[in-house]
Amino acid sequence: MLLAVVQPWPEGKQPADGELMERVLRRDASALETLYDRYGRPVYSLVLRIAQQPASAEEIVQDVFLQLWKSADRFQASRGALAPWLFTMARNRALDFLRLKGEKQRRREDSQEDDFPEPAIARPDAEGAIDLSRRAEKVRALMSSLPDGQRKAIELAYFEGMSHSEIAASMGEPLGTVKSWIRGGLLRLRESLKEARS
Amino acid sequence: MECEQLAAFYEEYALGVLEGEERAEMEAHLARGCERCTAGATEARRVVSNLALAAPEAQLPSGLRGKIMEPVRLSAAARAGAPPVNTAAKREVFPAWAWIAAAALALITGYAIRQMGNQNSQLAALQKQMKLAIAQNVALQNQLDESRMVASVMLSPDSTALKLMPKDKNMPMVHAYLHPHMGVAITADQMPAMPSARTLQLWFMPKQGAPMSVAIFHPDANGVIALVAPVKMPVAEIAALAVTEEPAGGSPQPTSAPAWMAAMN
Ligand SMILES: [Zn+2]
Repeated sequence: MLLAVVQPWPEGKQPADGELMERVLRRDASALETLYDRYGRPVYSLVLRIAQQPASAEEIVQDVFLQLWKSADRFQASRGALAPWLFTMARNRALDFLRLKGEKQRRREDSQEDDFPEPAIARPDAEGAIDLSRRAEKVRALMSSLPDGQRKAIELAYFEGMSHSEIAASMGEPLGTVKSWIRGGLLRLRESLKEARS
Repeated sequence: MECEQLAAFYEEYALGVLEGEERAEMEAHLARGCERCTAGATEARRVVSNLALAAPEAQLPSGLRGKIMEPVRLSAAARAGAPPVNTAAKREVFPAWAWIAAAALALITGYAIRQMGNQNSQLAALQKQMKLAIAQNVALQNQLDESRMVASVMLSPDSTALKLMPKDKNMPMVHAYLHPHMGVAITADQMPAMPSARTLQLWFMPKQGAPMSVAIFHPDANGVIALVAPVKMPVAEIAALAVTEEPAGGSPQPTSAPAWMAAMN
């Protein structure tokens, strides 16, 4: 089930994201298509979860991948890892869509969620498809292991773009409880991903 | 707060839940360019981005790949470079049979471009094929060049995208992509058919002086408009783009109110 995120490939055969991005930079359309094969589904799933409307989600995902094609040079210059960039951009666009739709008033500062996060971390070595499905497995296992309230709080933050106090209000829980749920959940996320990378 | 204390908030900051003083302190601190915290916040953003993978898995819409890859391949093909074309010269000798063939060729062109595929060898083979086709038929080349140019202008980061809003709410929007050197690309679809005695005409409305005719065009049989016209005035002097409906052959100056318009900002 988890491997359905990305199809399994023979170990070591798939080009790394960085290599594909080098080819995208040289205007190799097939490299972008490989990235779409790798990330299209998780990106679409994310955007659909936030936007809730298939037609709008499709447009946003189209926009994200065309942006990747158009701005490959800017992305390469940032020397960051691709998956966080794609997911962050997709999440921002989808949350923007929600905000524009005026469904809810959301609080999201652009300053901390740029489309192009600043450099400073090296690309992870094991970047790519296999790495992605392994991480998906970890994240899902973690989320399903959390108590309902804690999981809900993290979902409201990530998929609805809510702040601490908005989550507290939405759930009818004390602010302190929400803060410690989120902090605890994020710590566990960080730990479980550390294991996934080793 | 010191770096040690801020470090506890990196993930919450990346998630976007921080507010008030905590957020303000983090932002002020990062704005001062602390290397350690910048690295920490970036790493936290990477960790938090994995929450994307907790979204329920959805099936990709079947048409999405094409919607992404078609413009990408067009722009890649434009870059891969068929020989540069002297469009003006070519259009002067445009035999009648080529017009008749054009509709069929549009299909071939679209198909051929979609086939441009996964490997450079395929691309090379296709280019060879295309050259052959060019020799046989001027119309194919012409059409291909047009779509390539449209795609290049559309995808260029230097292009300004404008939405020309219709006066008539029932009409579709017309998109323009204005590139200072490559030209202005005009695209629209779902355009209603036009009588042959009428034509659409694109104008640059300068900040001073009379409108300048840019292009005369018709929607094709599928209601699609896709063309590129040269930009013969400094972009900074253009106040607005307008499309009017004119008698066949176009007019030296607009004879009707703009049916579509977009102001430059
Ligand atoms: Zn610091």
